[in-house]
Amino acid sequence: MIDALSLIQGAADGAREYGDFPGIGARGAVWIAAQIHLMFAAFVLGVPMFAVITEFIGIVGKDSKYDKLSKEFTRLLVFAYSATALWGGLLLFLLSTLYPRFWGHMAEIFELSMWIYAGLFFIESFTLYLYYYGWDRWKEGRAKWGHWGLGLLLNVWGTTVMFIANGWLTYMMSPPEGTTVQGLPEGVGLWNAIANATWMPINIHRMIANAVFGGSIVAAYAAYRFLAAKTDEERAHYDWMGYVGTFIAISMFIILPFAGYYLGREIYEYNQQMGITMMGGFMSWLWILQAILIGVLFLSANYYLWTGMGRIPGAERFMPYTKWMLAVLIVCWIVWGTPNTLIATRDEFAAMGGSRHPFLGVLGLMSAKNTAVNFMILTTFLSFLLYRRANKIPTVPWAKTGTLIQGAMFVLSGGVVLFLGIIGYKFDLFGVSFGVETITRVAVLSPLQVVAVLACIIGVTVIDLFIVRGAGSRGEIRWGEMPERSQYAIFVLAITFTWLMGLMGFARSGIRQHWHVWEVMRDTSDYAVTPALGYAANMITVCVVIFLSLVTFIFWLGGLAEGTAPASNAAPLARQTKPAALVE
Amino acid sequence: MWKTNLKVLLIAAIVLGFYTTIAQIIPQLQSAVPEVLDLTAGVTPEVLIPAGEALFDGAGACTACHGLGTRAPNLRTDHAGEGTIGQRCGDRKPGMDCKAYLYESLSQPAEYLVDGFTAIMPDARRQLSAEQIWAISAYLQDRGGEVTVTAADIQQGGGGATEPAAAVAATFSPTTDPMQLLTQNACLGCHGINGILIPIGPSFDGIGARLTADQIRRDILDPNAEVSDGFEQFAGMMPVDFGQKLSAQQLEAMVQFLAGRR
Repeated sequence: MIDALSLIQGAADGAREYGDFPGIGARGAVWIAAQIHLMFAAFVLGVPMFAVITEFIGIVGKDSKYDKLSKEFTRLLVFAYSATALWGGLLLFLLSTLYPRFWGHMAEIFELSMWIYAGLFFIESFTLYLYYYGWDRWKEGRAKWGHWGLGLLLNVWGTTVMFIANGWLTYMMSPPEGTTVQGLPEGVGLWNAIANATWMPINIHRMIANAVFGGSIVAAYAAYRFLAAKTDEERAHYDWMGYVGTFIAISMFIILPFAGYYLGREIYEYNQQMGITMMGGFMSWLWILQAILIGVLFLSANYYLWTGMGRIPGAERFMPYTKWMLAVLIVCWIVWGTPNTLIATRDEFAAMGGSRHPFLGVLGLMSAKNTAVNFMILTTFLSFLLYRRANKIPTVPWAKTGTLIQGAMFVLSGGVVLFLGIIGYKFDLFGVSFGVETITRVAVLSPLQVVAVLACIIGVTVIDLFIVRGAGSRGEIRWGEMPERSQYAIFVLAITFTWLMGLMGFARSGIRQHWHVWEVMRDTSDYAVTPALGYAANMITVCVVIFLSLVTFIFWLGGLAEGTAPASNAAPLARQTKPAALVE
Repeated sequence: MWKTNLKVLLIAAIVLGFYTTIAQIIPQLQSAVPEVLDLTAGVTPEVLIPAGEALFDGAGACTACHGLGTRAPNLRTDHAGEGTIGQRCGDRKPGMDCKAYLYESLSQPAEYLVDGFTAIMPDARRQLSAEQIWAISAYLQDRGGEVTVTAADIQQGGGGATEPAAAVAATFSPTTDPMQLLTQNACLGCHGINGILIPIGPSFDGIGARLTADQIRRDILDPNAEVSDGFEQFAGMMPVDFGQKLSAQQLEAMVQFLAGRR
């Protein structure tokens, strides 16, 4: 350990500014190490969130299946934790040897927080081991609550560790005013460097994204186990587990765009040029690619839900609506993916009269895209609602009225979103001028669209909770009776989430352009140019392949451990039968 | 079980391949690094202007807003009937000459706002050195006006980013390599090549099949003589001084290279 620290310090103290890495170069090496470390970190931070929630449901509802599910989530964590630490260590060595000048600057400012980070990492690791290995020992009465408290602590340590690391990376994007390569200005301390302009938006965005990511990877694990299952009981259990993971991933994913909007807004607030570079500069085409990925996510998620309705008695009455929801999703996807200016041949440009299509060009603007994504969110939420209500027979006397109010909320929310989207454009109708200035559209109309959708989601959910209270059943969900193709939709979700994470990481990091620390420390290495999307995509794919291969290996290891476990541990899982839906 | 494994692998390969391929198809834009300028005593407008133009089109990121007519005033083309920036800069602020106005606009952009625009422009001194800011000022003066930026202005400084930029000096070699010429002269900022499509100017791919060598030569020397169909909205953006900037050999090398792209 002392040798390693000496090496790091020696590298940071050295006179050279950059090292190089054979083959892929310094940037490539750091890129891969950082990305894979982040993917594992997201997984080990996301999974404990819902492990604690499902354990809580199990304790309160006295339902052991939730407890077993929670333990299975945590078992995946134990192995993933080591991988997170290993890649984090590799990243540290690569940064200190390949970017010693930059690392020296960061270490000088964040020294204390780095020590706290390392200390918390130790505490977090031991908490995880206690949490997992103490599962069967502390499973009754007050000891069980103590065990649940360990899970809660695990989340507290993990979140704090992430917040500290977020302080470092957001400092690189938005350092405090007056910072120079020599350090922070007079009167500005470590806390100011950590709690910089983009720190809290990134914290919120990452917390939500981690839950999404963790949910999708757990669901993919369950999907594989479902496909490999040899008994109906096993199939039922992993069908349910896959559903829970997907439910968590998608329900958190629905609110992720709002956190993304908050982050984007703060970037603009901090520095207009950075914001413009991100949305309208050399990165503008990245958002078309993002739209394609998110479209795939929405379609896969809805497809999974609609397929899952096949195992719910009573769901057949909703199936005719799915084709209309599919139509809405596809139209919105096309709108969201419409570029502002088109790639076309010379003749096509001539025919269009410019680089913007005369009719479809209006769809490439922010108003249309925001409207489209809000409709996709509403549609996906509606799919969830139908799934949830499929086998319920409400018994409250006001059920019909409540359902009508829910419908009215959807119509009202959709109407508001559409209206605000349309008046984002300037046009004349029947002699009346409509439209607003850009700043009004960005600062007022877009947030109002978000408010309309969130209000609908919250309002409809609250009403639904009361409508299904004491509801009768049209029949139990037939867990395990799921076509295999539905499980491949889960794989598509997991792979797409992982790739999207890499893409957004490139966007966040790339908007700094040729700066290690924005407008403070310039990148003067051979790799200072921020690469084009093609190169970035190759790197992201390499990272995703490495990550998924390692995750597969880790899960396989987990399977080996399970296979050699005593029968008393393995048996309860095998006896698991037809659990009820998480959302009942 | 191996069938299931194979299917999962296949799904992963298809999904990853799809995203990676899409990313290769869409326009490949990268963020340039500003060149270090070594503008020592005796610097002339002939050196300053192309250096400023390269910064304007590249690392300065000026074109992200200037030229659209919505976020910021047009600089290379007419704005609100007042002419190009070189024509109007001397009359913007009473008592302030053109180059002082331009330097102030770059270094303290909030000091004077053109009617109808908000203060969104950042202080260029945070990104660029004083030399680079003066080079952009000279380039903007050259858009319809007389270049009065001198070596004395540069030596006087004015404040700018002190961090050393990339170790590339802004020297414009007498190369006749057509690709180097296209890069040096920022042609590829607006014209796509090798499958990269940039919807500001006609693509260089297949240009030899559309135009003769004589037409290409004329379009380089006098770009506004005939504007290509479909690019009317960008008319006036292409610099008109390639006749002065390129040597006869360089011009010919470029023309023959483009004429050969069928």
